[in-house]
Amino acid sequence: MAPVTGGGYAYEHMFAFPTERPTLPADLVATLRPVALATSRTLPLGEPWSALVPGGGLRRGTTVVVQAPPGSGGLSLALSLVARASVEGHWTGVVGVGDPGVVAIAELGVDLRRVLFVPRPLGAWAESAADLLDGVDLLVVRAPPRCGYGAARRLVDRVRERGTVMIVLVEPNAPWPLPGDLSLTITESRWVTSSRLDARHLTVLVGGRGEAARAVAHVVVVPDRRGRAAR
Amino acid sequence: MERLLCVYVEALAEEAPDGSTLRDYSTLLDALSLLCPFTEPVRLGLYALPVRAPSRFFGGEAAVLDVVAATVREVTGHDPSLGIADGLFCAEIAARERVLVAPGATPSFRRRQPLAALGREDLVTTCRRLGLHTVGAFADVERARVAERFNKNAVVLHQVARGELSELATQRDTKLLGRLGRLHGAELSDVQLGFFGQRGDDDRAHAAAQRVQSRLGAGGVVVASLRGGRVPEDRATLVPWGSPASPARDDAPWPGQLRSPSPATTLRVRQGVELHDGNAEMVRVSSRGLLSARPRTLLSPEGRRDVIWHAGPWPSLEGWWGRSRRRAHLQLLLGGGEAVLLVAEAGRWWLVGLYD
Repeated sequence: MAPVTGGGYAYEHMFAFPTERPTLPADLVATLRPVALATSRTLPLGEPWSALVPGGGLRRGTTVVVQAPPGSGGLSLALSLVARASVEGHWTGVVGVGDPGVVAIAELGVDLRRVLFVPRPLGAWAESAADLLDGVDLLVVRAPPRCGYGAARRLVDRVRERGTVMIVLVEPNAPWPLPGDLSLTITESRWVTSSRLDARHLTVLVGGRGEAARAVAHVVVVPDRRGRAAR
Repeated sequence: MERLLCVYVEALAEEAPDGSTLRDYSTLLDALSLLCPFTEPVRLGLYALPVRAPSRFFGGEAAVLDVVAATVREVTGHDPSLGIADGLFCAEIAARERVLVAPGATPSFRRRQPLAALGREDLVTTCRRLGLHTVGAFADVERARVAERFNKNAVVLHQVARGELSELATQRDTKLLGRLGRLHGAELSDVQLGFFGQRGDDDRAHAAAQRVQSRLGAGGVVVASLRGGRVPEDRATLVPWGSPASPARDDAPWPGQLRSPSPATTLRVRQGVELHDGNAEMVRVSSRGLLSARPRTLLSPEGRRDVIWHAGPWPSLEGWWGRSRRRAHLQLLLGGGEAVLLVAEAGRWWLVGLYD
């Protein structure tokens, strides 16, 4: 087999292998900067979530998995999570939501001036999400139905490394391949009507890791008559 | 197993006493992430890039190697060791050897590595007595024999040797992501508390939007605003990021506005649907704004749905600039519990919104 060359590198044949491997670096954490204040590590949640989510906020670097059957209110719920932080000056990216209902998003209390939409990322949804992660504090992603484990894990790692909060919206028949740090699962969705659609009552299972390990079911109203999230 | 490009920078592998290594490592990570957003920080001194997408983008693996090598030289001033193979275990070896393992050749590359590559001295010593010197020879031992002779760590190494696992547990520094995160957090709070207030955040967001635009094209990133109007599809404005801001603001009350809540999805291109009554006749809106019959079935390209409740129609007649437009909106609750917004216009029904 003749060596194939490319970019100055030759495809391998046989090489002696050095047996010495680098040892992991000694722990020199003490030389690093002090950790930032606890408040800056958490993004605020508005009503009703601040009372329902353990810790009362969204910890930076974590992934929230919102799982909902199609048409049952998952998108409204996911967007209601970013409303408070957006009003307080944090930027949000929304990837893969093809036709965002801008009026509804404004009614939920989101400040549209600090939202970047990537409605149709085509084949590059994960790359677009990764690009946006650098510039926003919150990222809402509607994951494609066949999202691979590798792509998901790389995004989650990057979220952890960048200190962003990622909210992934998935359907039960195509779940997110990793466990979320916080998971909000819509188990029941019921509209209250009068002479028009009035409000939607969602039964949401709030679970996840750590403090949220024991899942608790709550009933929330998303949206209510004014289009907001409420209890 | 995924084809990975490993980047090994020896100068960043040992932590300097002044703590600058992590910062330099993070800087290079940022630079490499611009080339490939999925650059993974494996541990100090070592990065891994899934090479398939970038090689399509840059035109071949050799081109990716050139641009990565140039980036590392520019950012750190050091020459990196680069290598490509399938899976992190082989990719790291390839990087130290500075070789490209040809596509499909990774199994044979793995098999001829000395056993020491698995990183366990005790295993090497024992296997040498058994006459096993290479990863391949170890892989050929039956799993049951390995399990009875060694402990369960060796069984995991055996899986790596056979290519059933792509990497060794010791290759990744599990604390590294957290440390990089804290580094970013510390930098972020400095900016926020500093001289420029919130400016830092806005600049970061603009830079990110620009990156996505360069990936997807000018219409890839859009921003939204509201203007006056009666119904959600009229009130929303979505424009590409970077275009001149729309002067219209939604501050005045608008008579006859469809009341909240609004549909969370508003279709950009409305979809033609049919609305039938109990006799499979089309439901019409009369000139007085009343429905001809109670709607029972919604037929759309997605299929046939039962209508269990409806509200409206809310007619509107707009006569701007001489072009009159007669429309009526209708809310429906469907059998599965979903709610949708329809509009009747020009004798047809259209789906314009989903309350999802």
